[in-house]
Amino acid sequence: MDERQPSQPFEVDQRLTAHGTYWAGKMGTRFYAALRDAQQILGSPCPKCGKVFWPPRSVCTFCFDELQEVVEIGPLGTVETFTLVTYAEPVHPRPAPFMYAVIRLDGADTGMAHFLDEVDFDQVHVGMRVRPVFAERRQGNILDIQYFKPA
Amino acid sequence: MADTEPVSIPMTVSVPYRFAAGLYLTKCLTELRDHGKLYAVECPKCRRVQLPPRIVCAECHVKNGRWVELGNEGTLVGFTIMYLPLTDPTTGKPHNPPFVYGSVRIDGATSVLDHFIRVEPEIEKVWVGMRCRMVLRPQEVRIGDLSDILYFEPLPGQKRPGDGTQG
Repeated sequence: MDERQPSQPFEVDQRLTAHGTYWAGKMGTRFYAALRDAQQILGSPCPKCGKVFWPPRSVCTFCFDELQEVVEIGPLGTVETFTLVTYAEPVHPRPAPFMYAVIRLDGADTGMAHFLDEVDFDQVHVGMRVRPVFAERRQGNILDIQYFKPA
Repeated sequence: MADTEPVSIPMTVSVPYRFAAGLYLTKCLTELRDHGKLYAVECPKCRRVQLPPRIVCAECHVKNGRWVELGNEGTLVGFTIMYLPLTDPTTGKPHNPPFVYGSVRIDGATSVLDHFIRVEPEIEKVWVGMRCRMVLRPQEVRIGDLSDILYFEPLPGQKRPGDGTQG
């Protein structure tokens, strides 16, 4: 190194970005189309063990049976677990603070994570009853449900 | 099975990050920013001149020591005409296709720099061996990353070699 050797740490800002599109699959297609067109939430029941999956899927995770049917579930559901995000990260979908909750819809045996909003964070508890708020302009993705709020 | 149209979900993953450039790359980037100069390192064993500079020679794994100041001209050693919007790693924003992206060997360097080549995106207008010049941002707006190099442009007065049927 010569006399031009830097004395200060030097950092470089970069951004890793990837654009993509994925096919929602057979079950996902029915799920998103019903959500978008009818504000209906669908689950898929297993013909063997009777468990109802949300989001709907094509194979039962318990007995590996093929799932072909869909049933309407919800729209009311129950908070199974939740977390309060208190710090900001550039990759977060919302500014902090905000709350994620795993919500099991009535008629389903599995829960799914979504936002819990319009809520006093201190009042949130496991077992809380919630309902979805649908987007005005629905485009066939999971944010057609904007968030859940207390029922 | 599905009685509706297939639904596809658009996804964008975009993660900003920051890395410590380390001793050698820091010198390279700050010299580029402050003086518009390219600095490479020479391997004491195999004499290859590495750009961007690294502490260890990628071939012989010995410590690079001697700094070499390079000029701003080089030779295009490979290129592609992009028809997809390449995402710029410094901004995360796509570049509008078509455009030419290529590897330039700066005179005196052994390794190459990959960057935009400012020529019309037509196979007749670009060739391996084309002489290029590095074009930088104006000094007052340089930030010290590789985007300070805006692009390479061909030196004037060149003609594509050969009979024009290749490519």
